Amino acid sequence: MLLVTTIIFLMMAAFGAAAVVALFWAARDGQFKHMETSAQVIFDANEPVGAVTDSFPPSQKKTSKTASKEKQS
Amino acid sequence: MSDASAPTLLQSLSPGHQPTVEENIERGEIDRSTRLPVLAFFTTSIIWLLIGTVFAMISSFKLHSPEFLGDVSWLTFGRVRPAHLNTVIFGWASTAGIGVTIWLMARLCRTRLRHPRMLLVACGVWNLGLVIGTLGILGGDSTSIEWLEFPGYSTPLLFVGYALVGIWGVIMFRFRAPGHVYVSQWYLIAALFWFPWLYGSVQLLLIVHPVQGSIQAIVNWWFAHNVLGLWFTPMGLAAAYYFIPKVIGKPVHSYYLSALGFWSLALFYNWNGAHHLIGGPVPTWVVSASIVASFMMFIPVTVVAINHHMTMRGKFHLLATSPTLRFIVFGAMCYTLVSFQGSLMAFRSYSKVYHFTQLTIAHAHLGMYAFFTMVMFGSMYYIVPRLVGCEWRSATLIKLHFWACFYGVILMMLALHIGGFLQGLGLNDPNKSFEMITNSTIPYLIGRSLSGILLTIAHFVFAYHFVLMLLRLGRPQGEATLFTTPALSTAHDKTEPAAL
Repeated sequence: MLLVTTIIFLMMAAFGAAAVVALFWAARDGQFKHMETSAQVIFDANEPVGAVTDSFPPSQKKTSKTASKEKQS
Repeated sequence: MSDASAPTLLQSLSPGHQPTVEENIERGEIDRSTRLPVLAFFTTSIIWLLIGTVFAMISSFKLHSPEFLGDVSWLTFGRVRPAHLNTVIFGWASTAGIGVTIWLMARLCRTRLRHPRMLLVACGVWNLGLVIGTLGILGGDSTSIEWLEFPGYSTPLLFVGYALVGIWGVIMFRFRAPGHVYVSQWYLIAALFWFPWLYGSVQLLLIVHPVQGSIQAIVNWWFAHNVLGLWFTPMGLAAAYYFIPKVIGKPVHSYYLSALGFWSLALFYNWNGAHHLIGGPVPTWVVSASIVASFMMFIPVTVVAINHHMTMRGKFHLLATSPTLRFIVFGAMCYTLVSFQGSLMAFRSYSKVYHFTQLTIAHAHLGMYAFFTMVMFGSMYYIVPRLVGCEWRSATLIKLHFWACFYGVILMMLALHIGGFLQGLGLNDPNKSFEMITNSTIPYLIGRSLSGILLTIAHFVFAYHFVLMLLRLGRPQGEATLFTTPALSTAHDKTEPAAL
């Protein structure tokens, strides 16, 4: 049981320390600076702010109509 | 990067290794690099979803018709119910969550996926553990510890399978492209750290060298509650924080709030589990500390709720046109609901009524299904077309999937909340016999089975649709859903989004 208790306490210490280290690293690395602009990192030139990137697939009827229109033109 | 120039695992793990950081990699290329591992995790997760759903239906029917399959020993309630629980939380939810995590990590690290073979091995080992564990439960080898019923001989496989994913996560984070670490990455990295801590500790304390007496219950609920809050919740929120802004094309309303939400979740959630033991034979201070922490959970939850709502403000019309958004926003709303409910459930007066009733089951399903599962469905609707290179086959099937889930969840919540509340009131009334109270729940349990039928339809429709995508029988790419090639992206930029 002593071994298990030791492992558990070591794990607690390691994970607790990891959280503190992560917080300090984030602060030192500037992760908490310019926070409003940081929210935009998921956008880029191809998918800029304002571009909607998901929609339902078109219905079959619509697709066949569009295809026939394209053929006619 | 060709395979020949790809770093070996030893190089990636070596502290001294300085890799060349690839910058400006095209997003479609990153997506393609994740294809095999992500599809492997998604495919197996959906198989487990179907298996778990069948177990769920059998368990649910048995609650109001106990004779149903009663003469088959491996399908008795005591085996099927834990088989359902473990196949859905480890087989479906965890496996799907890992798939979404892999895809998101690659995108947010802005780098090609490293060591895909390692992830494929992880997927194989993880699933082998699941198969052995499920057969073990059905064969009568359950540990009978809630949320941990897999027998001891299957859990090392699960741990090894998971460990490979965890190590991969650390490697990816280490070799990410320079720049800001987006809030979703914080949640994902934290989840990858928290799960082995939870799972390792609880295995040591309950399976390998079991602690004695009521401490077992404390450890059990510490795990069972935290696996929701520190494993599934971070993965679900990471997906919501990425997909909601990404789909609507609008940054998160307040990035300050998202950071506050993450750190307050990290600080408070870990203490919550003991509120399930109110009135139990455990030290009062443990329960009291848990009640305080549960109340403090109002902070991260309110923060997330405000942030998601304000991000969506002015964009709610897109729920009509985006399948991803529809599922994820529903899931995010349910996250707020289930979390507020969870905090309230920590109060002793409320616990007096809900404890040991169907209300607890309702609460668990509101979290695991209405929040997490719906977010996973939404994420898959976004990710899969980008991996297989074609659009989803049918909008009708997606809508059928959503509405069957929606009405299934609503019916289940109504049935179990009303039934559970009346059951709780009955259990506190000394004039009512236990038999009378149990019989009074039957109509609500039948309601739950009906909701299960709706959810089963939804899952089989989704699985069928997913198989069509795997076989590349979807529609040709070209709509707003796909941005995998520069040509398409440029074409899209010049035109109005198809969804609008």
